[in-house]
Amino acid sequence: MFETQMIFAFGLFALGLYGVSSRRDFLRIFFSMEMLLNSIILMLAITAHYLGMTQNIVLAYMIIIIATLEAAAGLLIFAAANKITKVVSPDELNSEKV
Amino acid sequence: MNIILLSLALLLAVGSLVIKKTVPSIISFILMMFVLGLYYINLDAKLLGLFQIFIYTGGIMVLMLFGVTIIGTEYPQAKMRPWSAFSAFLVFVALVVLFMKHADTLTLVATSKTEDINLFSAQYSDFVIIFALIGSSLLYGTIKMSGVLKARRSKNV
Repeated sequence: MFETQMIFAFGLFALGLYGVSSRRDFLRIFFSMEMLLNSIILMLAITAHYLGMTQNIVLAYMIIIIATLEAAAGLLIFAAANKITKVVSPDELNSEKV
Repeated sequence: MNIILLSLALLLAVGSLVIKKTVPSIISFILMMFVLGLYYINLDAKLLGLFQIFIYTGGIMVLMLFGVTIIGTEYPQAKMRPWSAFSAFLVFVALVVLFMKHADTLTLVATSKTEDINLFSAQYSDFVIIFALIGSSLLYGTIKMSGVLKARRSKNV
């Protein structure tokens, strides 16, 4: 049971990795990064429950708070860049193409 | 029950990447996070589950809808990058193999007696490294952004 659930968490991590490296729009890249963080929280929660490593829950809270703040900061930076450059893909967000 | 919830979360995660329309994709992603919250509640980590649902899911939902309002819903199509699927699969296999190899050791380490937990006192140097990484990435982003702005201004003049 523990192993199966950890494999699901690894699957979510691999999916996030695939999304980060294959998608071009900022929204999907953002989703994929959140998936990576969610998979880590999932791993921490599973190990806390099945192995009794309760300190992992503290790390999970920290990751949730940092991820939420990071999401806000990332979105605002991209919104500001989009307002200036009118670009919706992070691939094109460099000085040569703008 | 746990396996069903996790399968549903994984399916919704795939859906959020595959669905082409923006708002259904956001809804799929939010549902994934909600299902994960339910899973945590089912795992007896009730506060973590409530945190996940109310703070994480709620915050991300508001942010995403705000972002879509500002930036719009028209995005370029995804490029076909077979190496990324292959590398993600490779990482998955490597993680599973490593975990299966050390699963017994992990159980032993978890059940063996350890000293008291001192997360913020003994390992504070780890946090210094993490914050240094975050700070340096922010600095890099600022410098890059100022370069873009400078190029834009010189083009306008």
